[in-house]
Amino acid sequence: MTGVPLPEDRQAEVPAISAGKSRTFLARLNLSTWIGLAVVLLLVLAAVFAPLLAPYDPTRQNILNQLAQPGAEYLLGADQFGRDVLSRLLYGARYSLTIGILSILLAMVAGSLAGMVAGHLGGKTDIVLMQFMDVVLAFPSLILGLALVAMMGATMTNILIAIAFTALPAFARVARAAVMAQRDREYVQACRAMGFSGPRILFRHILPAILPEVLVMASLWMATAVRTEASLAFIGLGLAPPNPTWGGMVREGFDNILNSFHLAIFPSLAILLLVLAFNLIGDGLRDAIDPRLKTAS
Amino acid sequence: MFIPKSIGGRALAAAFLLGTALTPLQAHAEKTKLSLGAASADVGKLDPHFATSTSDRTLVAWIFSSLVRFAPGTTDPSKIEPDLAKSWEASADKLVWTFKLRPGVKWQKGNGEVTADDVVYSLTKSADPKRSAFAGDYAAIEKVEALDPLTVRITLKQQIPSLLGILTNYSGGFIVPKAAVEKLGADFSRNPVGSGPFALSRIEPGQAAHFVAHEDYFRGAPKIKEVAYRFLNSNSARDLAFAAGEVDAATGLAERQWLARTQATKGAVVDIFDPAELTLLHIDASKKPFDDIRVRQAVAHAINRNQISQFRGDAFTRAAGSVIPSNNLGYLAGSGMLPHDPQRAKALLAEAGYPNGLKIKMITSQMPSYETMAQLQQAQLQDVGITLELQPVEHATWHQMIRKDLNAMTTYGAARFPVADIYLTQFFHSKSAIGQPSAVTNFSHCTVADKEIEAARTETDSAKQLEFWKEAQRKIIAQVCAVPLTETAQVWVRRAGLDWGYELKGSMSLGPLLTELTHFKD
Repeated sequence: MTGVPLPEDRQAEVPAISAGKSRTFLARLNLSTWIGLAVVLLLVLAAVFAPLLAPYDPTRQNILNQLAQPGAEYLLGADQFGRDVLSRLLYGARYSLTIGILSILLAMVAGSLAGMVAGHLGGKTDIVLMQFMDVVLAFPSLILGLALVAMMGATMTNILIAIAFTALPAFARVARAAVMAQRDREYVQACRAMGFSGPRILFRHILPAILPEVLVMASLWMATAVRTEASLAFIGLGLAPPNPTWGGMVREGFDNILNSFHLAIFPSLAILLLVLAFNLIGDGLRDAIDPRLKTAS
Repeated sequence: MFIPKSIGGRALAAAFLLGTALTPLQAHAEKTKLSLGAASADVGKLDPHFATSTSDRTLVAWIFSSLVRFAPGTTDPSKIEPDLAKSWEASADKLVWTFKLRPGVKWQKGNGEVTADDVVYSLTKSADPKRSAFAGDYAAIEKVEALDPLTVRITLKQQIPSLLGILTNYSGGFIVPKAAVEKLGADFSRNPVGSGPFALSRIEPGQAAHFVAHEDYFRGAPKIKEVAYRFLNSNSARDLAFAAGEVDAATGLAERQWLARTQATKGAVVDIFDPAELTLLHIDASKKPFDDIRVRQAVAHAINRNQISQFRGDAFTRAAGSVIPSNNLGYLAGSGMLPHDPQRAKALLAEAGYPNGLKIKMITSQMPSYETMAQLQQAQLQDVGITLELQPVEHATWHQMIRKDLNAMTTYGAARFPVADIYLTQFFHSKSAIGQPSAVTNFSHCTVADKEIEAARTETDSAKQLEFWKEAQRKIIAQVCAVPLTETAQVWVRRAGLDWGYELKGSMSLGPLLTELTHFKD
């Protein structure tokens, strides 16, 4: 355990770097990981090909079909404005996936960089950077995201940045711990003896060693990012109407849950599916990188 | 009579008799705690002269009294009755009015008795733009004097359509205690003291406002002793709370699905009442691109008010016919409104230099009725190439932001005292424009009908007065200061056992008025 903050319910799951070399990495992925990957792939394809797959324009209102129940005309029903729920779900996948993946990639790059620099340089740089991360870490991710979006405005870029910001310290701390574990290893000392520059040692030699750990972290945090985005949209801080976001659809559906429960159920299931898929991938990657953790658990 | 002989048998019989004797007492124990569910997120301002949101208006009407009031359950100006004033008389020229106050009316929370000084202070405050949001309505008052502790004289600069109208239990007409307001300053808004039937006891932010009966209320101690006004802004949460018996009455939803569902609920009574709120889309001609009338006309042609009315359901909503509510004295139906014509709208945009359409940002309220209205407008405007970028914010924040002149287009629903002068003055007179010292709700910065509005205010010939008001409406519509959308009645649901104490057919406070007679039936 490195003391790295994982998403709320995923503490104590950061793997050590694997020593297992006997099988290829892909062969070590278990079935649930493949299921997770397949689900994410399907959702990505659904999002990319939404214009071809969606039977209707997701923002087109048709008051005459207000709150139509699921059936032949509208497979998953229509909302209070007569908009097709299936089409909105397909287009909504674009926002959830984009925000879920890009925000964490952003956090991964920026956080890991900060953590690597802190771990490698040590001293005051380390103290300043990590204390800043500790301050950010003190806020629950949803509350921090909420504050940032409320301040900056609910645009796609701002939501993405806000969620990335909440995940930043996690990556910084993982990267810092991993760099500190590596920096006195023989190969790093050898690099120093050969006169390699600090950045070269850091990015060409240490980075590949800590990358698996960071990637596992990223996959687990993507689930959190999707949840945070949906939560923000649910409380009214998501993308402005008429953009179809899953959290926003749950919010709007909730107003009619007593007579048209499908409006809230279908987007909720979509969120559940994507979060589950990211978690399966994260768990699988962790197990593949360090099988000892799996047997231990 | 059979008496059991064993001790156990006697004990059982005694218990049975005791139980039988207590049962009627329990069954008839009067319920005195009322719980209401409101479509609001929190308390805004409970200083009645700043209470502009629907929810705040509802609450201040329970806390405060006024010189005169609408008979409970009506919005009929012909049924104005005495409240704090027991009688009044006017000079022959209707410029000097003398009011005699009821003696011994007590302020809540031990703040003494209502005196003429309090009335003078209140009406002066109502007329002061720095201390009231309704100052424009009181501009005709020259002076208010206390002749003695129970006599007040109001002198007008000129005749106005209805002095009694602006002295009712509505907007600036509420009387506040001078000493408490001066002592509390800005805190008065969260710690109001009135002379009405219910006193605010505490506020749980975002949860509820709690009230207790004002036992010294001059019409008698209220039958209801405690009121919990719960903030249940989510429609479903409110419906569920009502269905589960957590609240005795709740704000309804002016939508047909809601009505069908609620009417099917056993023991639920739906109250649909006046005033119908007129919703207008105000367009600020001082901001680009709306400085070009063709763009404003394009917006007007893009709006399909019948479709919006159909969306809401005809039990509550009808398409608006002018820029003032249809129940107003002076209303003119069909005053030259532009019809729904998307092709004409596109042509006008092209003429104005926007052949490919344009983008407009609009801050909107997250209150469900506003949120749905905004999305309906968004879709209709999109059809003619106008992309409406919505920026939804919490309702109280929205009220603040639109008063900082941040919107070029503002959708606003309101009901006012049913005389054309009030609505026209507050929404279309230049002195009410946002940014002016006496700013109220002229979001469009409209100035075209100032002359008619002012002339009608002092016109003594009622036929001429009506004509001035009608001409004002024609001009406002011709200049597209606002696009009329819908008129929607107020709606609440209550348990059949809850009796408001009157028949609820109208309420200027936009929610049920709680009186000393409000109670639960057996």
